[in-house]
Amino acid sequence: MTKSDKSFEHMMDIWQEGQDAFMKAQKEVAESFQNTITPLFDQTSESANASYKAWQEFIKTWAPDWDASAMTDGPSAAMFTQGRDAFMTMLDPSNWTKYAPEQLREILQSVAQGPQFADLATPHIDAANTWREALDYQNAAADLSKILLESWTRTYQRFNKTHSLEDLQSGDVQDALDVWLKSANHELLETQRSAEFMDAQKRMLRASVEIKARQRDMAEAWSEAYQIPTRTEVDDLTKIVHELRRELRQVKRELSSTKAKSKK
Amino acid sequence: MMPIRRNSDGEPLDEAEAALQAWSLAWSQMIEIGAKAIKSNSFLVETKQTDVEIATTPFETVLQIDKVRVLHYQPLTQKKANIPPVLICYGLFGRQTMIDLQEDRSLVRNLLNEGIDVYVVDWGNPTRADQYLTFDDYIDLYLGSCVEHVVEVNGGKPITLFGICEGGTFAAALAALRPELFTGLALAITPIDFHGEQDEFWRGEGFLNSWIGNLDKDDVDLLIDTYGMLPGAMTGAVFSSLTPIASMTKYNVGLAAMNGNEPAMLNFLRMEKWIADRPDHPGEAGRQWLNELYRENRLANGVFKVLGETVDLSKIQCPVLNIYAEQDHIIPVSCSKALGKFVEPKLYEEIGFPGGHVGVFVSRKAQGVVAGGITNWLKRTQAQKTKS
Repeated sequence: MTKSDKSFEHMMDIWQEGQDAFMKAQKEVAESFQNTITPLFDQTSESANASYKAWQEFIKTWAPDWDASAMTDGPSAAMFTQGRDAFMTMLDPSNWTKYAPEQLREILQSVAQGPQFADLATPHIDAANTWREALDYQNAAADLSKILLESWTRTYQRFNKTHSLEDLQSGDVQDALDVWLKSANHELLETQRSAEFMDAQKRMLRASVEIKARQRDMAEAWSEAYQIPTRTEVDDLTKIVHELRRELRQVKRELSSTKAKSKK
Repeated sequence: MMPIRRNSDGEPLDEAEAALQAWSLAWSQMIEIGAKAIKSNSFLVETKQTDVEIATTPFETVLQIDKVRVLHYQPLTQKKANIPPVLICYGLFGRQTMIDLQEDRSLVRNLLNEGIDVYVVDWGNPTRADQYLTFDDYIDLYLGSCVEHVVEVNGGKPITLFGICEGGTFAAALAALRPELFTGLALAITPIDFHGEQDEFWRGEGFLNSWIGNLDKDDVDLLIDTYGMLPGAMTGAVFSSLTPIASMTKYNVGLAAMNGNEPAMLNFLRMEKWIADRPDHPGEAGRQWLNELYRENRLANGVFKVLGETVDLSKIQCPVLNIYAEQDHIIPVSCSKALGKFVEPKLYEEIGFPGGHVGVFVSRKAQGVVAGGITNWLKRTQAQKTKS
């Protein structure tokens, strides 16, 4: 698996964790909803069973060979399974971000850049940002790969120009390897100095650092939840210590300078 | 047009004979390469990490400030050169061990063998606790204090500072800010003009300058803010990508070509050990390196500041030796040679080494050209100073 695949897989894990956390947050609501709704089902279950039996009897009068269990075992059941799978597929961004990524990015961007509310939709904005970043990384990695792939194609063309079929047929594999490496070196260096490569490289760097920054945010949220000092807090302390030491050195310097002057 | 192939009797080969000959040649070459690869592989299997030693020249630590140390190397000869001590200052992107890679490829040993008193700055291993260190700290506090220490040991008389790569930039800045401390300044593979003469770059030269120049300030800020440091693994990967084919082939084609030759293999493994030991670069200093120097070229433009004081390179008052590598893929020749525009011509000398960035110190050729050149320059310029 390539590095970009791993990064993206990792992003999917993070996304999944985000979903889980969201669902967990809804648990209380779901439980109270369940507590409210369950007694109603209990009250109605007896009459519902009676109704179902009556319905089965009614059907049998018209279709004596019909088996009600076929509804849950037959092709229609597969439809339910497929439906579930399709739903799960829909939830997995790796399956749909490749389609119309620009439009998707715009949608995510509009969600992320929309007005912020104090008590509403923060998880959605975070999720939109996370998806947008994942999408940017995916696109940046694909663009860079494409440029490098084209470079290898040109390497092959260059090799073909400088190393003929007759050269190959001579059996001199060492010479073929040397020419191939020389061609590849030439093409890769040319590619690496092109504006197209540098822009793709820049977008790739930006996208990968944004993902790293998102990971850091998530780690900080986790640390806060478990009363563990966050990276930001440690950095703040480090900065304070650094500045104090710098001030102390300055004071020491001034003191020794004053002493030296007074000696004179 | 392909030459007609002939057999041992000089008669033209028919198609079947030609194919057989080609088949035979291909197999013999592949077997030969395979045999070489097996020899190199066997050597690697038998070699332990402890067999690959670098930086073995004995020294003692004579000063420590935070993580920064000054190492004083023990003399290797009875003779004493009539020149002031030399303090060597490497950059933060790699370790100073490169100047003492192995006995027969060691700048430190070459100088010691001439009877020169050698000190080296070791920047230590910066972590995120050091992320807020800036060039103010590295140039004025750390390097300044190291120089002051050696000057003090030298009886209060000025010394020679030898800066390498980023350490050379530090050294040049300090020599401009505090010229009274120096009797000589030697630089090697040092960027001064971070933009260089881009029209003169050969293919493969100046990638770092172009790549970093293509970034926005925000990209650099996001990188530093997120990582806190410039991770060594990241800078190492960037350096590897500057020579893509060399990096791709060193563990396969390159190893096979060594044919298990012990000196070549050990030399390769020592270099690998040095490369693997790449420290993280403190974040704020890294931000300055990338934004203020690489992107904005403040040093060459005369607006780079240390502790609020502008670094004016024309204030360098001592003899200067500037060594650059003609095939340097990291620091372009024009970026190094730019120092000549600032220093008085009568004080300024150059050595152009026909090799690459690291080759200036570790190649066999460098032991004569570079080490010999430095020793010669020291004896010519610094001995005169001592006499006067």
